[in-house]
Amino acid sequence: MTEPQQREITRLCVESGLRLMQHGAESALIESLSCRLGLALGVRSVEVAVMANALILTTLGADHCITTVRRSADRGINMHVITEVQRAILEVEEGRLDPASYRAALEAVQPLRYPRWLLSLVIGLSCACFARLAEADVEACGLVFLASGLAMYVRLRLAKLHFSPLLTFFASAFVATSLAGLGLLLKLTLTPRIALATCVLFLVPGFPLINGVSDMVKGYSNIGLARLAWATLLSAASCGGILLAMTVWKLWGWP
Amino acid sequence: MNLLLGLLSNMLLAAIPAAGFGMSFNVPRRVLLWCAAGGALGRGLRFLLLRTGMPIPWATLLAAAAVSSLGVYAAQRLRAHPKVFTVAAMIPMIPGVPIYTALIALIEIQRRGLTNELLSTALSSALLSVFIVAALAIGLALPGLLFYRRRPVV
Repeated sequence: MTEPQQREITRLCVESGLRLMQHGAESALIESLSCRLGLALGVRSVEVAVMANALILTTLGADHCITTVRRSADRGINMHVITEVQRAILEVEEGRLDPASYRAALEAVQPLRYPRWLLSLVIGLSCACFARLAEADVEACGLVFLASGLAMYVRLRLAKLHFSPLLTFFASAFVATSLAGLGLLLKLTLTPRIALATCVLFLVPGFPLINGVSDMVKGYSNIGLARLAWATLLSAASCGGILLAMTVWKLWGWP
Repeated sequence: MNLLLGLLSNMLLAAIPAAGFGMSFNVPRRVLLWCAAGGALGRGLRFLLLRTGMPIPWATLLAAAAVSSLGVYAAQRLRAHPKVFTVAAMIPMIPGVPIYTALIALIEIQRRGLTNELLSTALSSALLSVFIVAALAIGLALPGLLFYRRRPVV
């Protein structure tokens, strides 16, 4: 293998790993897929270090090694990108793609995005189902549908304007709790507390939490801690929004 | 009859949010069905186990492990990592109401002063949520820990 060839393989490995990282893959997957890609393309070994916001990768060729670093900016969770990158790597392993056609395949992967109105609708519906699972009455479920759907729309709009996710979560928790609080203030439902509890469930940072735990379990402690800290911050921001709404509209009272 | 009805409504009510959250994670369209199936399986199995009198954290652990095994099967058929759809399928089992109860009880302690009743509500809800979330995470990792120790799923 010549040096330019090895250089290209190194770039392909690190760019694949970076795509996976930016769209929310866990560390074990980032590491194993970039290694498998490098080995399938013919380098002797690939060493990867996953950091909280950067990726370091070294390939060992016949007589020298090449190391490269990429900064990673979070592009939002996107399982479609992860699926497509993984399928392309599987095709390389089966010998159906060479480096040039793999690069073309990698660059052709465009993140799938569902339209905002559709996402708001299904998230509203999902939270209404949560309310029903927690044994709320039908009025409360309808209220949760409206509150969560609108709050999800606010969240997506704010995310589109590149506000910090912390601010976005704060604002949408405020909107959701304010709307669901109407059930308590106007006595629209017999189970107003369940409506208040379930309308903010779409803000639970499921992916950072689960990825954080599985990173920790698999020995990637530092990135696992970083993910868990981020999930905690996001939850704290949502709590802030809930508390502000409860204070402004005087939704206190227990139970 | 009542049991069957409860089971079916639980499964349906869990399948919708699983697919819905799958969409918010941008899961490809054809894979969304697996999210829904996983959500229904998890919540349905947990419903049945709770009926036998099993404590909710253990029932959650078994249900999560079952969803994760379904995930491994689907992953091999779809050539995609199981996390792509199992995480969305876990969402209906997240203990939203206990987490929220613990939070509000803590705030009330700060606002009105400590009472035994508030303290016990806060602690028991918080512990329950922690146990359930831990059970979800461990259950999800179980096939990897037990069967796929040194080889990748896909």
